[in-house]
Amino acid sequence: MSETANDIVIAARDLTKRYGDVSVVDRITFDIAKGETFGLLGPNGAGKTTTILMMLGLTEISGGSIHVLGDDPARAPLQVKRRVGYLPDSVGFYDHLTAVENLAYTSKLMGLRPAERARRITAALARVRLLDVADKRVATFSRGMRQRLGLAEIIVKQAEIAILDEPTSGLDPQSTIEFLGLVGELRAEGVTVLLSSHMLDQVQRVCNRVALFQSGRIVLMGAVADLARQVLGAGFVVEVEADGSGLDRRLAAIPGVTGVETLAADRFRMTADRDVRPDAARAVVAANGSLRRLSVDEPSLEAIYARYFQSQAGETQGARHAA
Amino acid sequence: MRALFLAPIAIAICLSAPAAQAADSHDIKGLYLMTDYPAVTVRPGTTSTIPLRLQNYGLAPERYQLSVTGVPSGWTATLLGGGQPVAAAMPGPDANVSLQLRLDVPKNASMTAQTLTVKAEGQGNEASLPVAVALAKELPAKLTVESKLPSLRGSPKSNFEYTLTIKNDSGRNLVASFAADAPPNFETSFTEAYGTQELSSIPINAGQSKDIKLKVRPPGTVDGGHFPVTVTVKAEDATAKTDLALDIAGQPQLQVAGRDGLLSARAVAAKQTSIPIVVTNSGSAPADNIKLSASAPTGWKVTFQPSTIDRLVPGKDTEVQALLTPSDKSLAGDYMTTVTATSRGDTASGQFRVTVSTSTVWGIAGAGVIGVALLLMLGAVARFGRR
Amino acid sequence: MRREGSPFQGVGAVAVKELADNLSSARMFVLEWLIVLTALAALYSAIDSLRRTTAQDPFLLLRLFTVNHAPLPSFVAILGFLIPLMAIGLGFDAINGEHNRRTLSRILAQPIYRDALLIGKFLAGLVTLAMSLAALWLMVIGLGLIFLGVPPGGEEVARSLAFLVIAVFYAGVWLALAMLLSIVFRSSATAALVALGIWLFLTVLWPMLAPAIAQVIAPPDPRYALLGLQTPDTGIWTQMLSRISPNHLFSEAMVGVLSPTTRTLGPVFLEQLRGAVMGAPLPLSQSLIIVWPQTVGLIAGTIVLFVIGYIAFQRQEVRA
Repeated sequence: MSETANDIVIAARDLTKRYGDVSVVDRITFDIAKGETFGLLGPNGAGKTTTILMMLGLTEISGGSIHVLGDDPARAPLQVKRRVGYLPDSVGFYDHLTAVENLAYTSKLMGLRPAERARRITAALARVRLLDVADKRVATFSRGMRQRLGLAEIIVKQAEIAILDEPTSGLDPQSTIEFLGLVGELRAEGVTVLLSSHMLDQVQRVCNRVALFQSGRIVLMGAVADLARQVLGAGFVVEVEADGSGLDRRLAAIPGVTGVETLAADRFRMTADRDVRPDAARAVVAANGSLRRLSVDEPSLEAIYARYFQSQAGETQGARHAA
Repeated sequence: MRALFLAPIAIAICLSAPAAQAADSHDIKGLYLMTDYPAVTVRPGTTSTIPLRLQNYGLAPERYQLSVTGVPSGWTATLLGGGQPVAAAMPGPDANVSLQLRLDVPKNASMTAQTLTVKAEGQGNEASLPVAVALAKELPAKLTVESKLPSLRGSPKSNFEYTLTIKNDSGRNLVASFAADAPPNFETSFTEAYGTQELSSIPINAGQSKDIKLKVRPPGTVDGGHFPVTVTVKAEDATAKTDLALDIAGQPQLQVAGRDGLLSARAVAAKQTSIPIVVTNSGSAPADNIKLSASAPTGWKVTFQPSTIDRLVPGKDTEVQALLTPSDKSLAGDYMTTVTATSRGDTASGQFRVTVSTSTVWGIAGAGVIGVALLLMLGAVARFGRR
Repeated sequence: MRREGSPFQGVGAVAVKELADNLSSARMFVLEWLIVLTALAALYSAIDSLRRTTAQDPFLLLRLFTVNHAPLPSFVAILGFLIPLMAIGLGFDAINGEHNRRTLSRILAQPIYRDALLIGKFLAGLVTLAMSLAALWLMVIGLGLIFLGVPPGGEEVARSLAFLVIAVFYAGVWLALAMLLSIVFRSSATAALVALGIWLFLTVLWPMLAPAIAQVIAPPDPRYALLGLQTPDTGIWTQMLSRISPNHLFSEAMVGVLSPTTRTLGPVFLEQLRGAVMGAPLPLSQSLIIVWPQTVGLIAGTIVLFVIGYIAFQRQEVRA
């Protein structure tokens, strides 16, 4: 990551939120660059939503600082909120109003002029493909439509940063794909997107960079590939299912392989800094083994996540044993 | 005067001596012309009637020609019978005919005594009657009225009561009616001496006298002074008068009102208010040492500034400040307060309707409470606002 | 830390939206018709009895508000009872409704402070109530004109306007209370139940409890009881305690404003009446002074309840 300071749109330094003695967000520090799609990962209650609310000035900051688009949301929340769109977790609308009326209300709160309002709302609804139900009451909308309507609100606002909190939870796969497509469009327009989710594959699909939250701390942060290298030790994991004698040694001897794990008598997992499948096949053949399966795992966020928490648990146990 | 009367009477007796003898014994016979009083006194300018009788004793009825002689020039003597002038009379045997001699004496008649002769002439019989008429300017009163206390003194508010004694000297029973002539607007009324029944006339027997009472009530606004009242009593042709007098001493009459006659005022509870009060003397004498007092609702304080007026001449007014402090417990709204001005001889009071306003202090305190609440809100906005 | 910008930005937009919601909501529709129909019944019977009994009354119009004709209570008494219901109906789900619809954080993500949301909602509620009350007021005047045929005098109109203002603040107290409860209780049903409970307690139970408590605090003196009089201390305590209820304040204020002959609302001692001219109407300014404490109570109550709700709302977390 090599951005100039100008490109940083969100900068958090030791951001902390405490309720009494409990730190919900504990000294987190991160920078988000303009145009980036940043994923906030972590189990429920890890502090993602609290961090988002602090970014918008909707909750008090207990310590540290955060700047959004150069403004301090604790001091000038209106400035921040004027430029940042927020789609809350399971967003709600006024059911008795139509889609247009709902957007008209929020756009009024944004301070838009009536003519501008109408133009932007129509355009936004067209983009999220809700124009044909524009004058239907929101009560009849499905969850996917509501999420899209929420996105339309961000579009109406012409937000520079779109903060989406668990936008795809509870959506069917079709809606999820549709929604992520729209997010992709936003990103293509240069909007910085902040996506909080616990759905790892989606985050991986759209995010340049992720931050992994655990108990109020960012425990991992960076591009997925980097994280894989960091957590899994390498970028590529090749699984080999074959029989043959001394196969593990032969596989370990392949250049670039950093480790071989024997999962079963005939299954091995190799970690390497490059795609070592041809070498692995050759090694099996050389050992007179019969190759049944040769697969490569691209570094999966899920794997990183699982591995990380596994190792954390191990460490804690180890620490406890040590103590 | 007496000698003048006696002379004609003596003549008359001489002339009628046979008749008198005949009257004494019942077997007298003849024609006689008679009267009870053959010598009378009249006043010039009046008409007098002298009753006559033509008496026939034992004679056959006969026509007798009647005449009056010796009537002075200017006088009119008419013989009346049965109410109309007659020239002859015809009395039956042992019967008489009533006649009247009416004399109209002119005003300018000379005061000398006159003798008129009335004659009745028939066939062989005749009778004559000389009537001596003396003239006199004044006749003795037939009716008198007098008051023992003809001049009374009092204030315009007093009742003037005069006791009048009416005496009937006319020798007849009379009904005397009375009237009083008083200055305008004086009320007069006659009542029995011991009673309240108002009267306009009263019967009095001959020679008797009766007391009646006259009440005069002057108008209340009358100034002091001397006022004459004349009482006139009339009975048939007799009249009597007496003069009475009222001596009215002036009296102050006070009036209490607000300025411009207003009898209402405004005041604030527990706050001293000054109400101008005008005391007017509309009476006829100065009022001295007028004391002002007030009867106000419980808990109210009323003082006057000044509290007494030394002297107030008639027709003048003076302003006094009533310093009124309604009780702090007074309710808003109207209360009655009576202001009384007392001077020797007169008391006047005015009822003032005092509209009490309650103090606005609590209103301001209320506004203060709202202000505090608003401050609280501003404080809350400052402390907790902008989230 | 001082924040920038006006806390009132967006108040107008919120108020307009909420006003439109209030006026078009089925809930308001039902409440308004309930009030209109009950008030019409009360007015009808009042007009009926006024036409039969009244000869000359300089305040005929005002009598329309206060005359009751069994079995119906007077128009003002009905309002005293139903205004809280209307205010509670408007306010009980003001904030928790936003939470439950999950619209709160979306709205607060717009460039407004949450002050604007609360103030806007409160103003919209107050304006809604004021509009309803003004409509009722016009209805009374109109019916008075039609059926009594007497044009209202200037003072009558002024007094009935004072009625309107006081009624609006009375509604304000209940609106502020209902909104406070909607902030404190996350469930709308709980907030509504608590609000209705308080309403029933203050309008039905408290008038019975107040004298009982007063008798405990200041036991009645048997000497007064023998004369069939109320002990002054007990009476004063009863009144003080009764005045805790906004309902009592409202009805006292109504008596003072709408019956011009009312000279005081407190206990009266005999000595205060000595020399007093009874039955004389008070000037408007004096009537206003008499009801001013009650009015202050209602206004201050509205503000204080609103401020408590405001503070509670400001300290609340946006997320559920």
